[in-house]
Amino acid sequence: MSEDMEKMDKWAPLKADAEEREKLWSKSLSFGQDVWYRFSHKPTALLGLILLVLLVLFCVVGPQMVSHSYETQNLDFVNMPPSFKAYEVDGRYIYLTPSLKLIEVAPDGTLMKPLARLEDDGMKKRMTFDMGDGTEIILNYKTKPPRLENAQKEPYTVFKSFRNKTYPLGTDNLGRDMLIRLMMGMRISMLIALIAAFVNLVIGILYGGISAYAGGMTDTIMMRIVDVVSTIPLTLYVILLQVMMGSNGGILSIVIALGTVYWVNMARVVRGEILSLKEQEFVYAARTLGSSTWRILTTHLIPNAMGPIIVTVTMLIPSAIFIEAFMSFIGLGVMAPMASLGTMCNDALSTLRSSPYQLFLPSLAICLVMFAFNFVGDGLRDALDPKLRK
Amino acid sequence: MTRYILKRLLFMLLALFVIATLTFFLMHAIPGGPFTSDRALPPAVEAALNKKYNLDQPLLLQYLDYMKGLLRLDLGPSFKYEGMTVNEFIAGGFPISARLGGLTILFSLIVALPLGIIAALKNGKWQDMFTMFIATIGVTIPSFVIASLLMYVFSLKLGWLPTFGLDSWKGYILPVVALGGYTLSYLARLMRSSLLEVMGQDYIRTARAKGLSELKVVVRHALRNALIPLITVLGPTIASLLTGSFVIEKIFAVPGLGQHFVNSISNRDYTTIMGVTIFYAAILIAMTFIVDIFYCLVDPRIKLD
Repeated sequence: MSEDMEKMDKWAPLKADAEEREKLWSKSLSFGQDVWYRFSHKPTALLGLILLVLLVLFCVVGPQMVSHSYETQNLDFVNMPPSFKAYEVDGRYIYLTPSLKLIEVAPDGTLMKPLARLEDDGMKKRMTFDMGDGTEIILNYKTKPPRLENAQKEPYTVFKSFRNKTYPLGTDNLGRDMLIRLMMGMRISMLIALIAAFVNLVIGILYGGISAYAGGMTDTIMMRIVDVVSTIPLTLYVILLQVMMGSNGGILSIVIALGTVYWVNMARVVRGEILSLKEQEFVYAARTLGSSTWRILTTHLIPNAMGPIIVTVTMLIPSAIFIEAFMSFIGLGVMAPMASLGTMCNDALSTLRSSPYQLFLPSLAICLVMFAFNFVGDGLRDALDPKLRK
Repeated sequence: MTRYILKRLLFMLLALFVIATLTFFLMHAIPGGPFTSDRALPPAVEAALNKKYNLDQPLLLQYLDYMKGLLRLDLGPSFKYEGMTVNEFIAGGFPISARLGGLTILFSLIVALPLGIIAALKNGKWQDMFTMFIATIGVTIPSFVIASLLMYVFSLKLGWLPTFGLDSWKGYILPVVALGGYTLSYLARLMRSSLLEVMGQDYIRTARAKGLSELKVVVRHALRNALIPLITVLGPTIASLLTGSFVIEKIFAVPGLGQHFVNSISNRDYTTIMGVTIFYAAILIAMTFIVDIFYCLVDPRIKLD
């Protein structure tokens, strides 16, 4: 074909049959297909979407697969790390915790039970433990780091690394399973994201829509209210509302606090969109045909304003999650025994030196959630409104 | 211009009034007085305390009293700390917070501007990717997470920097970096996109056509105009810095205003919560106002209405 083309006179009119002509046309895409095309051709957006799906699966399906409950405390196994080294003592494995307890570990990594302490000689800094079969072993904490010895003061030196089979991600300082708490914490983040988005969508669209559509004095008054609300530092007000409602309200009060304060941007965006849309011809056409106001709003105005609205929502979700984590962190969020990623970070600070994994895990979880939502949000923004691309 | 400024000032006052009113009634909507919360006091003591702080008056009278106090810039006494006024709290804590905030802004600008400029000039190359990668991380990771991780690595593991306090210059490093992470990333992103936009303008082509060196084109013509959007966001940025510092001050035990605020929340020290909220709000509103005025002075194309 291409050789034929080269032989031909380049300036002769191209002869193409009907079928070939068709090929010049690209496939026509509907709006949804177009958005999906742009979204799926952005690697970070796809990555975010996959991450989001995985995280949702993790926190929705995950808890069914974990045998522990998020609130059960097991004070025998406090601050157990996800992986550790245990001494080999006569064919059995003993883990020495940083708080000077001895815990027997099965060869596959399952935690069995703490050894009974027979006596604690504070003067010599030695503790004696019973192996359960009459033999005694001695924990010498005069040395740094502390070490295990047998009755003849010979230290045990053989170690074996284990992955914690009972608690794959370890336990916190009250002996609660980190894995299930992470799942529950992430659930709260997702729930907050969902509800905050929904509440803001409803209030924002109603408020902005009414303001724009009514126009005149109503519009002026409504927008002045928005102006005043938007000069208020929102974080402060979420905190104040939370103090007022009392922290025992838990998630509900956070959602109310976020919902009452964070709709302002949405209202502005909706109003701006509808103001520009309502002067367009298709709206006049609809009005001439006798459509009701409600119908014009719901079938013509709001669907056409959906792009910027969704963009605003996706921007709002990470900030809602952040506010929840932030408030839980300063002690205003969900209350124990419920777990939130923010409270978990806060709890971990006191044991940061000995059990850093208690901070790392929830931190990582927060970062993953934030990354997922940010990437998806950025992708949606570019896909829905290519003009906004940065 | 004068008309605009007057209008804005009036609006600021209105906003402050709404904020003060809202804060007052929110705080008083909490069931139980500030003294009924933890230990049960003898009724006589409670009555005396209520009388001392005027809590036995009708709410409206208390409100009028509080507003009168506000006019004289008096935020009232602290409920939990005997003999301390909220004003004293603010006078003690705010300079520390302001110093921390100021240093953070300085640090963020010093890092963000070159990063953003390099990213824009090397658009699409690895320097750009790298900068944007750092910036994305900075925007997504909450400051308290950055702060705790920094503290773990540099204070606990390496022992280079103190875990708390601002006694020496070393104490400032971690709080400033943790607090500046978000601001820095945000400013760098903004700098990049704004410079990219300016570089595509006609006057840049003109400058190049005149035979100016690339350095001169960037510094004289592009940067000046690209900085304008940065000035606009500086107001809200300072706002987010101040509110963000609650957590940073708590983690690093910095005795600033944010620390007081968080403590007064857990102590349910209502007057202090109210006072600090109003004070912060006033500062933030004033900041946005100043930035807006400044913005118009810098760019004569912007007309105020």
